[in-house]
Amino acid sequence: MSTVLTKSEVKRNDKLMERSGSFTNPFERKSRVSKFRRVPIYLLTVVMIAPYYWMITSSLKSVKELQVVPPTLFPKKIIWGNYFDSNFNPTMFQQDVMQGLFQRYPDLKFGFFRFMMNSFFVNISITISTLIIGSLAAYVVSKHRFKGKKAVYLVIIGSMMIPWQVGLIPGFLLMDQFGWLNTFWAYIVPALPKAFIVFFLTQYLTSIPDELVEAARIDGASEFTIYFRVILPLLKPALIAMMIFTAIGEWNNFLWPLIITTSQDMATLPVALANLRNSGAGNIGTQGVIMGASLITSIPTIALYFATQKHFIRGIALSGLK
Amino acid sequence: MLKSIKPSTDGVSRKTGFRRFSDVGISTYLMLSPFAILFLVFSVYPVLSSLRLSFMRYNAICNPDQSPCGSVGFGNYTTLIFQDDRFHKALSNTALYVIGAVILGMIASLSLALALQEDTRANRILRVIFFLPSVTSGIAVVLVWGWVFRGDAVGLLNAILNLVGVEPIEWLATTWMAIPILIFMSMWGGAGFGMILFLAGLNSIPAMYYEAAVIDGAGPRQRFRYITLPLLRPVMVYVGITGTIGAFQIFEGVYLLFPTSVGSIGGLQDMALMIVPYLYDAGFNKFRLGYASAIAWILFAIIFVVSMINLRITRSLEDLK
Repeated sequence: MSTVLTKSEVKRNDKLMERSGSFTNPFERKSRVSKFRRVPIYLLTVVMIAPYYWMITSSLKSVKELQVVPPTLFPKKIIWGNYFDSNFNPTMFQQDVMQGLFQRYPDLKFGFFRFMMNSFFVNISITISTLIIGSLAAYVVSKHRFKGKKAVYLVIIGSMMIPWQVGLIPGFLLMDQFGWLNTFWAYIVPALPKAFIVFFLTQYLTSIPDELVEAARIDGASEFTIYFRVILPLLKPALIAMMIFTAIGEWNNFLWPLIITTSQDMATLPVALANLRNSGAGNIGTQGVIMGASLITSIPTIALYFATQKHFIRGIALSGLK
Repeated sequence: MLKSIKPSTDGVSRKTGFRRFSDVGISTYLMLSPFAILFLVFSVYPVLSSLRLSFMRYNAICNPDQSPCGSVGFGNYTTLIFQDDRFHKALSNTALYVIGAVILGMIASLSLALALQEDTRANRILRVIFFLPSVTSGIAVVLVWGWVFRGDAVGLLNAILNLVGVEPIEWLATTWMAIPILIFMSMWGGAGFGMILFLAGLNSIPAMYYEAAVIDGAGPRQRFRYITLPLLRPVMVYVGITGTIGAFQIFEGVYLLFPTSVGSIGGLQDMALMIVPYLYDAGFNKFRLGYASAIAWILFAIIFVVSMINLRITRSLEDLK
């Protein structure tokens, strides 16, 4: 069947496509089932939200209510005991403590806050330093000429093909030799050289004309001035995307922090969370505290995602589909 | 375009005596060195060192510099490949998991992208919801799933099934359940990320192709088969390869949900033992560092080969056209 479109129809069609980014054929009548076609999507949405819902509601239930069979869908009475227990008794044995997330680490300065501070400190240090180091390297690789440049770039790109776990054992031994185990150094320093960041920023810079840099050079600008005044402003969108990815990735990192921490006080949130769960030994009464801690661990990255959503999605498109 | 311009400007600058690229001198090394030094020490050295260690016997009582320990040649590799039953179990589990997680994940991502393609308010909200797990802490999520799949009556899945009269099932202690559960968790966590990539791919397909197809009388199914699918191939390759690499590195779910009674890892009869958890077990529970390094290199070899095969297949598919 062939259809001839009138001018106005074509116009309307164009508008439709512009708006939706996808093509809907105005001549195909919507079938009657279409109302119900969305049902599976909404069911799936429930599955997607359920774990978050469960985290939030369970953290507000009493120990008694957590043990009820079948579990209640909504807390009968909202209590905050899982976060802060007014009946908390510091002389109780650690394994008998069911509630009071912020009180249950009496030996630690700042208690549970300590893990949050560790996580924030490690995360912010890594994100800022890795972007500075990476963008400097990317500038040199894309806009300078020097001997062996191609080889350098090849090694950097090639290293991305190697799963990071390959260096896990020697990395651990290295930390041991440096005496860095259980210190912030072990968290931060090995995480700084990120090949992907250099690769991504170099790709981004090659699309920027060399003439911009040359012009600045002719005007007598030093290389560091060029980096700060020309390169960094140009890189801004790419840097924002990389910043978000790095921050979220580092926040959720687990295996490396797990092997380099030997004492409670140096744990980041994911490690503290795993320890908390292991100490609870599957007792259902401790699930309220565990869910509360899970929630606290999840919120910062989700907040960052909401705050930077536009950059985020564009960053994925930029880095994934080049 | 720019590339063709570059040599000529170079020539000009040489003649007129402007500072050339190569004259920036010391600043090049100053700016590159922070990354270069850290990269050499913390990325290159560990990889090379791990290759060396993989040919060594290195454990709690034996260190590579002592004479009876030292080099064992390919000993670690031959033991792993020909004798170690746990490693074989880890390999077959990982293979099953990767195949399931990648294929089902790809189908889920593409279906979601197609379902949520239209740019309506509702769809924008749904996209955010489906993407949320990608930015949520893996440990936090695993802990919730741990509750969902609890074996007793307070386990959520058991509680739901109890409504229709099913007795509680020991989900995490039923051997054939482990891999499907881990696949389900990976789909829940990863489908949204694939969806975003597919959406970007879908939006980059020019609408006029569909327009032309409609004029030629192509139905929705044909348009999908002959326009959407072929043009999405680059995205599919990307999602496939990155998904495969990611799936091979699964650790957290196994570590938290499938411990064993003897302080090891992998669950009942090693039903959920995978490569990276086994590497962790060998290195940090048993302290067999040479052996663990050999596992790491086998992991690399497998990922490398699978990625190459992946690329080859897609390239030969393109040649067919």
